Amino acid sequence: MLRPRLLAPVFGLALLVAGCATVPPETDPEARAEYFERNDPLEPLNRAVFAFNEAFDHLLFRPAAEAYRILIPRPLRTGIGNVLDNLLVPKTAANQLLQGKPKEAAGSAARFIVNATLGVFGIFDVASELGLEPRFEDFGQTLAVWAGTTHGGPYLVLPILGPSTLRDTFALPFDVAMDPWTWVGQGDQVQRLRMGRTVTQAIDAREQFIEPGDALRAQSLDFYAALRAVYLQRRERDIRDEGRPQVRRFFDAR
Amino acid sequence: MRVHRRGLLAGLAGVLAVAPTARANTPDAAAAFIESRGTALKQVLDSDAPLAEKRERVADILREAVDVRGVAQFVLGRHWRTANEAERAEYLRLFEATLIRNLSARFGELRGLRFTVSRSQPRGEEGVLVTTMVEQPGQAPVQLDWLVSFASGRPLIVDLIAEGTSLRITQRSEYSAVIQRGGGRIGALLDAMRRQLSTLEQRELAQN
Repeated sequence: MLRPRLLAPVFGLALLVAGCATVPPETDPEARAEYFERNDPLEPLNRAVFAFNEAFDHLLFRPAAEAYRILIPRPLRTGIGNVLDNLLVPKTAANQLLQGKPKEAAGSAARFIVNATLGVFGIFDVASELGLEPRFEDFGQTLAVWAGTTHGGPYLVLPILGPSTLRDTFALPFDVAMDPWTWVGQGDQVQRLRMGRTVTQAIDAREQFIEPGDALRAQSLDFYAALRAVYLQRRERDIRDEGRPQVRRFFDAR
Repeated sequence: MRVHRRGLLAGLAGVLAVAPTARANTPDAAAAFIESRGTALKQVLDSDAPLAEKRERVADILREAVDVRGVAQFVLGRHWRTANEAERAEYLRLFEATLIRNLSARFGELRGLRFTVSRSQPRGEEGVLVTTMVEQPGQAPVQLDWLVSFASGRPLIVDLIAEGTSLRITQRSEYSAVIQRGGGRIGALLDAMRRQLSTLEQRELAQN
């Protein structure tokens, strides 16, 4: 017997499936090509989550990022960003190993040690000056390398977390588990530090996205579709390791 | 710097030898082309000419350097074929106007840009990819890659890739979404483009 409480999600799922776009017939190859390029069979649901995320961003996320920019001066933000970046390096090294790139993994290990010591807990990116430029890998990219394709399955918009794909969503819990900082230390204080790191990371990322995001929104006829295209292309670039290493600068106009 | 000068020289040589045969299909020629068009654009952006005159001069540079019609067709994708003559003409008009106004609405912030051509590599059939670093004073440089095609016999920009994101692919995805959500009508896209254009016109007035 299905109880009402169980019925609601089942009903929701049925609605969702009904709302799915259907694959165009074989007689219309161009429409099919467009459908597969769009890669978004759950578009109606994704758009709903996207609208929620937009409201969240408008009310909370973006104001927090703006406050961060106003309250914390540029050099300090760069130092904080460098610390956050350095904390991501062990996970990156692990993924580089899993992707069969031992040389890059060694580079990351060296980068982490140099910045954690000479760079004072990662505040100063000394490693970049020595030619060890920042690279970031996550488990979603590793899965892509293993699968031998940049195609990550259907596009998904996750609540709060934003653009993703089926593969990247699947990789998320592994990604958290692979991060050594998930396991180091215990107690309330450590727990608070971990929370603080996650929140600061999100705000830092949003702060960097203020201008590019505004520009994309201003230029686009359909912001949802634009963001989807940008996310899928960026992800492909990251999987192929074709991105340009971004070194944070201490003295910029904003 | 050396790369520039070599590129420039090759470009000059290419221009001098601009025989009907399009032999200048080389990375050096593409780099020289981007260098010269970029410099021309920068001159206009930095000038103190009145808004309308600046916009006209930018428009001239874009029309000459960009394969506007080719890009517009690519962006419309499969809907180009189903569009009738009037729709096509209106679409092309709006596409070009949007391209120009997207720049002119930001004349204020585009002042004092510096750019350097850093690399130029062949991309098979598509043409040559020219990498530039564009820097605004006091801000981190941005990498812009220009896809230059020689298919028409002279160099033409067919795509702009900003930090790994292709403008024409992103735009195609958007335009097809607008058409799809408008019930498959190209008219829905044209309406949206008209609205965007008037927003840009207002922004241009407000910012300049």
